[in-house]
Amino acid sequence: MLDRQRLATPEIRRRSGLRERPPRPRLLPRLALVLAGFLLAGAAGAGAYFLPVLTTTVSAVGTGQIGSVAGIAAGGDQPFTVLLLGSDDDAKFPADAVLTQSMIVVRVNPATKQVTMLSIPRDLWVTIPGRKGKAKIDTAYQLGGARLAIETVETNFHIKIDDYVWVGLKGLIHLIDRMGGVDVNITNPVMDDFYPSDIDVKNPYGYYRLAILPGAVHLDGAHALQYVRSRHGDLRGDFARSERQQQVLLALKGESKQVSLSDLPDLASAFNGELKTSIGLDRVRGMMAVAGRLGTSGIQQVVLLPPYTNPQMVGDQDVVIPNWPLILPLVHQSFP
Amino acid sequence: MRRIAATALLLALMAGFGAGVYRLLDSHRSRTLPQAESAPAAPGLGPVLPGTFYLAQGGSIYQFQKGKFKKLTPAEGWTQPAASPDGTRLVAVKRGFNSSDLYLLGTDGRVMAQLTHNLSTVVEYNHWAFFPRFSPDGNSIFYSYDAKDPGNSYRVDMAVYAMPVGSLKPVARPWTNPNQYTGGDVSPTPLRAGGLVYSKFAADADGKVFSQVWIQARAGSPGLGLTRAEDNCGQPAVSPAQTMLVVVCHPAKDVSIVETASLDPAGYSAGPLQPLVTAPLVASPAFSPDGLSVAYFAPAAPGRPFQLWTAALAPAAAGGKLPAPRVVGPALGWDSGSAPVWV
Repeated sequence: MLDRQRLATPEIRRRSGLRERPPRPRLLPRLALVLAGFLLAGAAGAGAYFLPVLTTTVSAVGTGQIGSVAGIAAGGDQPFTVLLLGSDDDAKFPADAVLTQSMIVVRVNPATKQVTMLSIPRDLWVTIPGRKGKAKIDTAYQLGGARLAIETVETNFHIKIDDYVWVGLKGLIHLIDRMGGVDVNITNPVMDDFYPSDIDVKNPYGYYRLAILPGAVHLDGAHALQYVRSRHGDLRGDFARSERQQQVLLALKGESKQVSLSDLPDLASAFNGELKTSIGLDRVRGMMAVAGRLGTSGIQQVVLLPPYTNPQMVGDQDVVIPNWPLILPLVHQSFP
Repeated sequence: MRRIAATALLLALMAGFGAGVYRLLDSHRSRTLPQAESAPAAPGLGPVLPGTFYLAQGGSIYQFQKGKFKKLTPAEGWTQPAASPDGTRLVAVKRGFNSSDLYLLGTDGRVMAQLTHNLSTVVEYNHWAFFPRFSPDGNSIFYSYDAKDPGNSYRVDMAVYAMPVGSLKPVARPWTNPNQYTGGDVSPTPLRAGGLVYSKFAADADGKVFSQVWIQARAGSPGLGLTRAEDNCGQPAVSPAQTMLVVVCHPAKDVSIVETASLDPAGYSAGPLQPLVTAPLVASPAFSPDGLSVAYFAPAAPGRPFQLWTAALAPAAAGGKLPAPRVVGPALGWDSGSAPVWV
């Protein structure tokens, strides 16, 4: 029987009613198919897990406007510069037309483990690209979003911004709460009788009293926001506030050592639309690795106090006049 | 049929693998450590230490005695207790939304009297009262209070005031004159000799605010620094014999040092600072009743809750090394701004 089958031509087989045995499939392509299936399923699982992160980074300024940081993605040692923007995104302002109360430029050099944080006074009187005359730098974001804020910093300070992160008030609260709070040393009492009561309230123009007492404390998100936002009772007003913002940022950097890549979806969902960034998930991974390698000894903090700036009245506005001949050489020491 | 079954099985395995990847990633998520909010009222949580502690956590005051915690007040904003010299009463802060007041309590937590009345319906007319301490004779209470500046509503600086206890209409008297826009004068400790030790905030030439431990002979007298400006020291506590001072100094960023110094209250001077504990964050030191140890708060690791620690001031044997500080009880997340009371 076997011999008959083997010797018969297809025509003979058909006529004699012999059934044709299907060709034996090759094992390798089938294995590859199964493997690809498993890979796809794994990718889908990971994609589902990181979905909140992906949807957060979707709100980025289009690539091409901002330089890409390929070195970070590869876990390399290429220096990069990030503009951190913080806004009072309460009911006083239309959504996406808010002022930036905080602007901090951070330069990280992974090779030398050097970090420089430059706080830009929100009332700095500067040229806004595409606009006539001068205006406070905090209006740039209101007029043209992150793109104009970046362009304004780049134009005035003659530096290159690679990426940006924008965070709203509640975003910061939720981030710090999700990280379990933050430990800081309060250097002096922060007293404010007119702290804005504008989060989750009907009247965003209300205020309340604040007393943050000196000493080492563990702050939750709401209290940490109060600490970095208050400015009325301080001798140096916005400058002291800038220093407190840098202090909490550094404390958060310390706390972030306990955060892994797997925590990112939790953190991203905590923002609930209160975070916008140009940094994709691939680069977040690289940045976390870089942050983990950085110590506190290589961190330089720059606040543009007088004589780098000079508070003045222009018309009916309190503004801060930049002393560019002093500022630019200082900035270019750390921001090429 | 077998092929369909095999395909279905493979698809199910793939779906399971995808779900497994999700679960694997989820299992690597770090669980953020919440600050302990549960009452540490369970018995036997801590080692047996001599004396009695009064500590604040989550708006409640707790007593810690013979290794057991006991909740004295409900969670209603209570903080910063201090004991009377005879140990029969406490004075503590009850903090509200826009104001805080001082209350006299029994050692069982029962409210005996409200000492200040700082609440107002107008936000900026409210006042704060913090850091209360009994005078050595137990007849007065020293505390930090924010008097208003009629010329500038933005200025809120605390000064040290003293008020008699037991008077029907107690009138508080200012003792110190705070530097403007620094936050003012805090953490007063009245001395048996009649003077006052406290933390004074001041600004350097660049406007940067720092802290100095200050001593003052009388109400309104000028006073002088017991520590140097560059040491940036505050949170002073005085030993029961009033011959030693313990402070927290921040001479550099990310460095906190609990330091001790000899104290001469009559001569208004202190000896050189001696480091006792160095850590990124330490807070609110206080002496033991025998003056041989110091209790303070610090996290066991960065980002962890503040725990109570004790450090001996002298080695167990002459010529030996100082024993390492030891932690008291589990990580309960104590209110680090409320100095432990150890009587």
